[in-house]
Amino acid sequence: MGDSQYSFSLTTFSPSGKLVQIEHALTAVGSGQTSLGIKAANGVVIATEKKLPSILVDEASVQKIQCLTPNIGVVYSGMGPDFRVLVRKSRKQAEQYHRLYKEPIPVTQLVRETAAVMQEFTQSGGVRPFGVSLLVAGYDDNGPQLYQVDPSGSYFSWKASAMGKNVSNAKTFLEKRYTDDMELDDAVHTAILTLKEGFEGQISGKNIEIGIIGTDRKFRQVSALTLSPFLNILLMEKWPFGFKKCQSLVLTPAEIDDYLAEVE
Amino acid sequence: MSRGSGGGYDRHITIFSPEGRLFQVEYAFKAVKAAGITSIGVRGKDSVCVVTQKKVPDKLLDQASVTHLFPITKFLGLLATGMTADARTLVQQARNEAAEFRFRYGYEMPVDVLSKWIADKSQVYTQHAYMRPLGVVAMVLGIDEEKGPQLYKCDPAGHFYGHKATSAGSKEQEAINFLEKKMKNDPAFTYEETVQTAISALQSVLQEDFKATEIEVGVVKADNPVFQVLSTEEIDEHLTAISERD
Repeated sequence: MGDSQYSFSLTTFSPSGKLVQIEHALTAVGSGQTSLGIKAANGVVIATEKKLPSILVDEASVQKIQCLTPNIGVVYSGMGPDFRVLVRKSRKQAEQYHRLYKEPIPVTQLVRETAAVMQEFTQSGGVRPFGVSLLVAGYDDNGPQLYQVDPSGSYFSWKASAMGKNVSNAKTFLEKRYTDDMELDDAVHTAILTLKEGFEGQISGKNIEIGIIGTDRKFRQVSALTLSPFLNILLMEKWPFGFKKCQSLVLTPAEIDDYLAEVE
Repeated sequence: MSRGSGGGYDRHITIFSPEGRLFQVEYAFKAVKAAGITSIGVRGKDSVCVVTQKKVPDKLLDQASVTHLFPITKFLGLLATGMTADARTLVQQARNEAAEFRFRYGYEMPVDVLSKWIADKSQVYTQHAYMRPLGVVAMVLGIDEEKGPQLYKCDPAGHFYGHKATSAGSKEQEAINFLEKKMKNDPAFTYEETVQTAISALQSVLQEDFKATEIEVGVVKADNPVFQVLSTEEIDEHLTAISERD
């Protein structure tokens, strides 16, 4: 890739043995908007702040949480344009796997291949590392899984993780609240509370994004419309009747009406 | 002990600085401002309008050849703010891509797909050392079959967003402040209101009243989704309407 004039790596070792470009990439991630993920016993939730540069931006045109396959979703902290490149490459890899094996790609395989791409860009000629860390959430035959991939290309499986500006507070909060037998709806509740901790301004369905995947193995992005009543519930510390029976967070109109009746 | 600035190259090519910034990308943004032109785009209920200053530096220049407003296809327009040469490259590539899309898939390239393509290309320049980022902010406008009027802005960093209204160039921030006030309650502008908001925003921010030959205006309307550059007479009508209104 790149011109032959640049066929030397831009990421080189410093005298102390560090790859400084990767460290700088991590700094870029650390100044990005907070995002987090939580693995529950029966699903995974990922969430992120969606702070737009101006009220003039059409927030419906922006989607930070993306689907890589019907059962794997991803969110990032760091540089949006770099994220789009990785999403595109990962989707292609997932599709190639499917074409070869006639099976949906397992989460670990997709994570591994994505991480390999990120590692390539720390060693190839004439390119810089990606300025994003990814949180990949999926549900396959091995159950619910959550992986974090860093600009260096290293990845780990997490029970719960956070990245971006508010990472240390968010992780402390998650450590306190996480339990191994957490259910998906508790996890969503905790995710929203964690985001709220470091949130500057008024949290609402329009300035956060939430993606969930449950035992149905269908990754779902929660729309602002369904999110608002849910946030109201959270702020009032109440749960709508029958919510725990829902497979996913997309409340039906009847359930929303039930909740609204309770609020009034 | 870690080295200070990676050998000092972080300002010359797009590698990370110690603070995690890409200086070349930031300098590209400055180049957009240095061009000395401000542009404004406004999306109405059933139309989109973009306005930019037309500065002809030399009287001997052919006025008609000085333009920042380019049709990409019959239905898509692009307003390029910043370095003219970079703008022409971008437009050339965008026209090629839109034509190929139409050939390959049998339908017109939508606004957001073109914007994403432009933004993804810009991202490549921020990651590969062999090409510098382009010093251009592109506003793409068109009528989407499903979503209606669309206005997208793509910048040298590779970001792109859909906008209700936006601005680019030297007085970008002042214009955005002005537009935020106007669009605060999500108004649904008619075609005339859209054009007049865009032009009066430019006039207010630059604090001067324009003659029709000093600005360029491009529009798309839902009832006639062809991208049109307004003629001097049409611009004059709108300018008169604005001054009568005030």
